This record gives sequence, C-alpha cells and structure tokens, in this order.
Amino acid sequence: MSSPKIGFYGFTGCAGDQLMVLNCEDQLVDLFGATDIRSFAMAKSDNDDGELDVAFVEGSISTEGQLEHLKDIRKRSKVVVAIGTCACWGGPQAMKLEEGGYEERYKKVYGNAKIEVSKAFEAQPVDAFVKVEMKIPGCPIDKTEFLSAVTKVVAGRHPYFYSFPVCTECKWKENPCILTEGKFCAGPLTKAGCGAVCPSHNIPCVGCWGPTDDLNVSAEYNLLEEKGYDADEIIKKIKKFGGAVVAKMVKELSAKKNTKEGGK
Amino acid sequence: MILKMKKEDLSAFLESAKEWGELWGPTRKGERVAFEKVETLSQMDLKATRTIIPPKKFLYPPRFTMFDYDDKGYVERTGDVPNRILFGIHPCDVHGIQIMDELFLEEYKDPYYAERREKTLLLGHSCIPDDKCMCFATDTEFIAEGFDLFFTDLKMFYLVWVGSSRGHDIVRMRPELFSRDIGKDDIMNYTEYRNWKSSQFTSKADFTGMPDIFELGYNSPVWEELAEKCLSCGQCTMACPTCNCYNVVDEVDLGTVEGTRDRFWDSCMFREYSLVAGGHNFRDSRADRLKLWYTHKLQAYIGEFGKPACVGCGRCVATCPVDINVVSVSKALKEQEVGK
Repeated sequence: MSSPKIGFYGFTGCAGDQLMVLNCEDQLVDLFGATDIRSFAMAKSDNDDGELDVAFVEGSISTEGQLEHLKDIRKRSKVVVAIGTCACWGGPQAMKLEEGGYEERYKKVYGNAKIEVSKAFEAQPVDAFVKVEMKIPGCPIDKTEFLSAVTKVVAGRHPYFYSFPVCTECKWKENPCILTEGKFCAGPLTKAGCGAVCPSHNIPCVGCWGPTDDLNVSAEYNLLEEKGYDADEIIKKIKKFGGAVVAKMVKELSAKKNTKEGGK
Repeated sequence: MILKMKKEDLSAFLESAKEWGELWGPTRKGERVAFEKVETLSQMDLKATRTIIPPKKFLYPPRFTMFDYDDKGYVERTGDVPNRILFGIHPCDVHGIQIMDELFLEEYKDPYYAERREKTLLLGHSCIPDDKCMCFATDTEFIAEGFDLFFTDLKMFYLVWVGSSRGHDIVRMRPELFSRDIGKDDIMNYTEYRNWKSSQFTSKADFTGMPDIFELGYNSPVWEELAEKCLSCGQCTMACPTCNCYNVVDEVDLGTVEGTRDRFWDSCMFREYSLVAGGHNFRDSRADRLKLWYTHKLQAYIGEFGKPACVGCGRCVATCPVDINVVSVSKALKEQEVGK
C-alpha cells in the first residue's frame, strides 16, 4: 500500500496550527514517513497541486481568492479536515457573524484605500463553503489530539473527539467550578480537548476550542446574567470563539428574548 | 473490633503504615481539595469536608490505558498499580465505594477495578458536616463496614474501628499505639459525638417517599424546566461517588499496527452517550437525560439494591453552577415547581 497523499493549507488565521504540526518534533519523522506530504508551504518548498487523500485546512475563509483555492483543494481531495478553531468555526474574525454591518467595519479599518488583492468578505468557517469530513479544533490544536486523529485518518479509521464540554476535563483535574464563584467562564459551551489548561490555573475558559457538540447557550446566558454580567458583555464574550454555530444560537436567543419583552 | 489511640500517635502510626504503600490524604490548595500523595500527616487537611472528586479516582481513574495491542494480540496493563493507603475517607465515600464494589466486583468482575481495589487500603476518618452534607437523608451518616480502619476523632483520642484483617495487619505494625482499654468516658464521648454530628446538618434534603415521587413525576413538566437550565457540562457525574459509566477508545501509534485501548469517564448526561449506530438516539432530549440520571439515583437503584445510589456527599450541590442536584430535583418533583 502506498503512503496516503496529504497536504496542509493555510487561510485566514495565525498559522499557529501548521506551526503546531511542525512542533510535533518527536513524531515528525514518523508523520513524514507514514504519509506522502505533497504540499506544506510552511515546511517545504517543492509543493504540487495534485490529487490528495487528505487535505488539512487551517484558517477561516475571507476572500474570493481563498474561496477559489479552497474549492480547488476540495475537488482534488478525498477527505478535507479542518484544523484549528478558525477553520472549524470561524475564529475571532467571525465573532460578528449574524450581526451584519460588514461594509461599515471594513471601511472603518481600510477607509477608502484601494485594495489590490482579492475582494474580502465576512470571515466564515471552511464548512460554510465546502464539505468538511472532520474537524480538529483548538487554538492552537493540541498535539496529542492532532496526532491521534491523523494516525487514524491515514489508517482509514475513525478518529474520536470528546463530545462533551471542557468542564468534564476540568473536573478530571479536580478543579472547583469557577462559574460557581461568579467568574465568567465559557467552559460549558466549549469543546473538551485542551485538558482544561486555563481553569487548572484558575483562569476562566474563554472558549478557544469552539462550541461543544451539545451546548445550551440560553442556560449559560441566563446564568451569567444572574451573576451580574450585562447582556452585551455576555454576547461579545461567548461569540469570540463561538463562530458560526454560537452566532446562530445567539441570534435565535435574542429574537426570543425580544418577542418576550415586546409581549409584556 | 474497636481500639483506642492517642491523637498525638497518629503521625507515628501513619509513618509506619507507609511500609505497606504510598500514603494519600486530603490536601487543600485554596478551594481545591483533593486526595494527593503525601509524606506526612501535617500535609493533610483533615477538617476539609469533601474533596472535589471522590476517591473513586483511585479505583478507576478518569482516563487510563487498559491494555497495549498489536497485530498479534494484547497485553493487559495490570500489575503496575502501586499499593496505596487512603487516609481520611469519610463515611459517605466509604458507602460510595461499597456501591462501586457491587457494580464492578460482583456479577461481572472488572479486572482493572479489582486490581486497584485490592491494592488500596481504606482508612476512614470522621467528619464535620457543612451546609451541603445530606448523608442524614440517605442513611450514610455513619459507617459500619467497607473500610480497613476507621478513625473517629473524640478530641483527645481516636476510637479506631478495625474493619478487615488487612486493617488489623496495619495495626499490628505498631501494636503499642493502640489500646483495648475502652472505659465509660469513651462510650459517653462517642455517644456525645454521634449526637453532635447528627445535630450539625442544615441541608433541607428530604428523600422520604423518593421512589414513589419519581414514579408519579415521570411525565412531570418539571423535567423540561430543569432541562432549560442544565448546561450538560457533566460535572455532576464526574463528582458523584457512585457514577461509574465509561467510554472506551483505541489509540494507534503513527504508521504502525500497535496502540492502546483507553477508558475514560463518560456521562449519561451527554447526548453522545445514548447515540447508537444508524444515528438513533434513545435520549436525544436533555430532559430525558436528566430524568435518567436522577431516576437512577433515587428510584431505580432502590428497586434493585434496596438503597438509593446517592450517599449524600453533597458534591452535586457544591459543583453544579445552575443548582441542579439531588436536593433541588427531589424538591422540584415534590412541589411540582423548579426553585429559583
């Protein structure tokens, strides 16, 4: 059996996930040995644009040029894997999704400057445009989780990702719940996988792994409101890494609250 | 057998007991109370009411490797568990371990649990209840069996219950520290201690009529109301001394056919837990999942084993950010209203 052909690609993001792949120093030789890496601009110079078994895509999509490139990757890849929170959910650059006002924000930053590169639009996760077989979230991705998934993907097996929120890992680490102390913690909305790094150092979770599989946005919102946080702050913070998924839920929640208040 | 020991001799006793295995006890760092490996008694906080995670973590850790495999077969990862002495376990947690024993050692013996159980010595210690303790309502306030030794603090002395021959072996390491000379004062002190402990509870927990209330309330709208509040974070399950469900996953070493099979704590509060092949989910709604958890603890288990699967430790009360716990749920069912 020939080694599976794989490629790594980066779009709008900090490139931290590709860097994390290269940071798997102890396993890097094994990774290059077990696979045929056809394209990895960050790691090597001779890259080609042929057929792939698996394409790993980092970053959100925010320009026409990127979109075209993404569609091309999809067309020549059997499996597309989104790596990192930006590719999976949209990342912080997608925190205004479902709010509109993109044109004004664009103008505020770039004024009337003539931009020669590809036309930009509101950043969105990869699966807003093409089919994605798998998501490996994280900001950046976790080495262990990435290697576990890659190993299975190249062996044609199904990787496993925790379906539950980071709170479960946080309890495994024997931390008291910081939400009960009244701190703003996004843990219950956030997918596990990081090992509850921040709360284990008494720093509340900001949600950088993106939304968990079964989140209750309205319960988290009500809880934080009860703890004294104001609506704008809650929405801003839970949308920071929540991407398209949380943006949609927040929009529905706001609509529900408005009808309720309007009906009073 | 009940013995007597001077309080000041405890340190020397534990020092000698370390010959049997590692010494573990409750330690405190701010609000984080956990059983940790210690060298001396002074590192422990014996006044701490409860650890964040119950001692079930010793008998089946949150995530561990069961065995290594390759294309020829597999090798169990048993045999590398150290001997451990757990000092300072409270009656509720000993009751919790007894329930775990029923599940893991009886009909289908779990080799990983069995090995850790065999290599763990349980040295219990009396406790000071706080406002979340509700063992009075689950009849787990005191403990008569299931431990190797149990120390009841009577100010100047400990009364030490010997609960197993292993416990007796540990006592015999330092026989001069123990006496059988139990007098009238000791009996009175012990009676006084029991009365004092029973008077300390302030929790409003009331599980009377529980199996019936759950049956009557099976279709109550209260479950939907609770589901609106529930974050599905899983903390209750991880912190519960009798929750025992787990998931199993294989890991593979890159480019090989070798790997490990791992086990980690799971929860029926998670949607994935009841998801089966083909995409059907037996408990797709959060309300159904909450109902299962609480019905299991306070109704179904009573039917099967004659006692609730709640030992009154108060961890669900302490850890749930939205106040869903055995106290609030049983109250909501009785009053048909979810409290604020």
